[in-house]
Amino acid sequence: MTAEKSSDAQAADDEPEFNVADLDLGFAEEVAAKPGGEYIRRCYSCGMCVAGCPVAEVEPRYSPRRLIRMILLGLRAEVLQSDFLWLCCNCYTCMERCPQAIRIPDIIRAAKNIAAAEGRLPANLKTVSASVTKIGRLYEIEEFDNKKRVKAGLPELQTKLEDVERLMRK
Amino acid sequence: MGLAKGSPRTGFYICHCGTNIADTVDVDAVRRHAEELPGVVVSCDYKYMCSDPGQELIIQDIKEHRLERVVVAACSPLLHEATFRGAVERGGLNPFLFHMVNIREQDAWVHEDRAQATRKARDLIRAAIRRVAYHRPLERMRVGVNPNTLIIGGGIAGINAALNLSMAGKRVYLVEREPTIGGHMAKYDKTFPTLDCAACILTPKMSAVRDSRNIVLWTYSEVEKIDGYIGNFRVQVRRKPRYVDEETCVGCMQCVDACIYKDARFPSEFELGLKKRKPVYMPFPQAVPPVVAIDPKTCLHFKTGKCKEPCKEACARDSIRFDQREVVEEIEVGQIIVATGFQTFDPARLPQYGYGEFPNVYTSLEIERLVNASGPTGGQVLLRNGQVPQSVGILHCVGSRDENTNRWCSTVCCMTALKLAHLVKEHTGATVYSFYIDMRCTGKGYEEFYDRMMREGVQFVRGRVGEVRDWEMAPEEEGKLVLRVEDTLAGFVRRIPVDLVILAVGMEPRADAEAVQRMLHISRSNDGFFLERHPKLAPVETTTDGVYLAGCCQGPKDIPSAVAQGSAAAAHVLAMISKGHIELEPNTVAVLDDCSGCKTCIPLCPYHALTLNEESKKAQVNLALCKGCGTCAAACPSGSITQNLFEDEQIDAEIEETLAHV
Repeated sequence: MTAEKSSDAQAADDEPEFNVADLDLGFAEEVAAKPGGEYIRRCYSCGMCVAGCPVAEVEPRYSPRRLIRMILLGLRAEVLQSDFLWLCCNCYTCMERCPQAIRIPDIIRAAKNIAAAEGRLPANLKTVSASVTKIGRLYEIEEFDNKKRVKAGLPELQTKLEDVERLMRK
Repeated sequence: MGLAKGSPRTGFYICHCGTNIADTVDVDAVRRHAEELPGVVVSCDYKYMCSDPGQELIIQDIKEHRLERVVVAACSPLLHEATFRGAVERGGLNPFLFHMVNIREQDAWVHEDRAQATRKARDLIRAAIRRVAYHRPLERMRVGVNPNTLIIGGGIAGINAALNLSMAGKRVYLVEREPTIGGHMAKYDKTFPTLDCAACILTPKMSAVRDSRNIVLWTYSEVEKIDGYIGNFRVQVRRKPRYVDEETCVGCMQCVDACIYKDARFPSEFELGLKKRKPVYMPFPQAVPPVVAIDPKTCLHFKTGKCKEPCKEACARDSIRFDQREVVEEIEVGQIIVATGFQTFDPARLPQYGYGEFPNVYTSLEIERLVNASGPTGGQVLLRNGQVPQSVGILHCVGSRDENTNRWCSTVCCMTALKLAHLVKEHTGATVYSFYIDMRCTGKGYEEFYDRMMREGVQFVRGRVGEVRDWEMAPEEEGKLVLRVEDTLAGFVRRIPVDLVILAVGMEPRADAEAVQRMLHISRSNDGFFLERHPKLAPVETTTDGVYLAGCCQGPKDIPSAVAQGSAAAAHVLAMISKGHIELEPNTVAVLDDCSGCKTCIPLCPYHALTLNEESKKAQVNLALCKGCGTCAAACPSGSITQNLFEDEQIDAEIEETLAHV
């Protein structure tokens, strides 16, 4: 990840250290109020989500269960600063298997939305979101791409989507 | 509305219930209000009306003041209506010339404003005093109790209930679907936490059933139809043909040896398919009755009609009966104990665990057979290729505590898993991993057993296994089953390669529980198990009088609990037999002469108490079945059904007086 991050945040991912006085006990409610977040309190911490997670397979420190525990505990700043929040690949394996029927990706998305609203978007996502807002695509289509498409027998795509910016403003 | 004959002499009593009522209702004000009402000759309050001195007040006043009616304002009639009716009766008055007003649950407990709550109490008691004037003396009906009992299911719960009743000299019909009794317990190897051999403690009880002259044992049979009511049930039992004469067969196995099939080649039901049997077979050596059965689906005689029938020839007692037919027996019993048991969860419903996909993934029940000395491998825990496993993973909570399958905790799987950990370790010397979410060892000696397993070196990992796969990502995973699990206590994901996986499968209601429920008119809880009448104070009775529950058909439980419940059910049955009759509450309905025979009421009755009298063409009610729910009385288009204690003039008076000051 290329998100700009403080050394504190790095520390939070490695060794969470916290002061009981700093806990935000309303954080779980804040997440629970978002669509799909309502079942967060049902987690009995069995680790089924982690055990099937493809991201955890390559990044052993990533744990959806740990994120849920951190939210329930009220570690608001630590969760919102964490890089791990942005690693979920939305494969929904955890949700499919969760014995407590918790919508784990929705909970992570809720936390992401709270982070984004506070301006804590990682740099690469900022670039992506700027691109989508401006041109309606993740990357620009150029003449070069269209030439390749024509060669493959595919229709050309519009290179400029002037309406997008207007739509996004609304 | 007014009373033509003048108000009857009424006694009114209001209870403080300690502070439960008195804190919110001005008891004294209500008492004074009652004093002024027509007919009231006694009005008094008392700290605890349900206590002996409280009841004594009523008894004395009935005699002294020649009371004709009694009203008590206290808690819910569910709690103490019977208490006060008893007091009224002891005072010499018909117990139904009494009415109870609930000013606790329906007033004091649900209101905070004292003035308002007091006003509500005044309205309610006024209505009751007015209503009770219209009460008529009623008599409880007495019905005799047939002393015979039907027990459905011959597992340990049913067996124990049958033996208890037999000990008391009572006749029992024990009906079992399988060719032998014994149920699930007969399949277990050892029992936790004492590790005594299941067969050693069960088979003497099974033999005792066989030897008892009071127990009529019908195996390979199913209850088909039940009519009637407590004390007088009529039951039809379908006895499937086993093509062997039960009276003469002694289980010598000559027929099995002689069978035209030289090798056993059909999956044995008792051994869960892990062993083969012949078309003529004995489920297991200690089966009761010790009688073989012939499976017509695999027997050559039935399949082709061209078998030489060497079994028949081999039988010295001429017990093989290919012409045996199904028989439907009709019996009469007074009470019924339901002990139909459970089924284990089918782990194929959780594809991530690879049951049915990987041959070395077993259920806990299958492992019970493998570790059993008389099981398919003679007590050796072996992989499908015949090798001894070096490492074994036991997964808890498979089909338990899971919103996707069964939500409940099956209560015994933790202990089963611990027991199997011990047995597998003992039999193979393998490294045993136990994957749990929460270790639930809540019985006597259970926690100590868990402690013993920790000392024995079972590797405990707190985490639910995500998946069982055979993808190898490291040399040590080659040819192994890999368990992916988060060690939630250490906080990281582990890949654990093992040779053998044991799924500790949960308990669930039998697939045909709904059919049994309908046949008996009982209820089931959300989880599908049969519902007890009260979760704490009536855990054995059902909502149908005379029908009791025993064992896992009511919910997952261990052997001691199933045995205890079997005995408890037998105690209920014996109590009723001892009494010899039942008294039926007289809050029943009566069909009036102007019934037009429209039959509207008949399908509405939840207790099947109403039928059409073919001669008079009018509805008739079986008072022994009527529970006084009032559905028919409300539905009758011509108002031709009345209900005792809920007659029109009683209810009208009550409503009128309740609303008199609104």
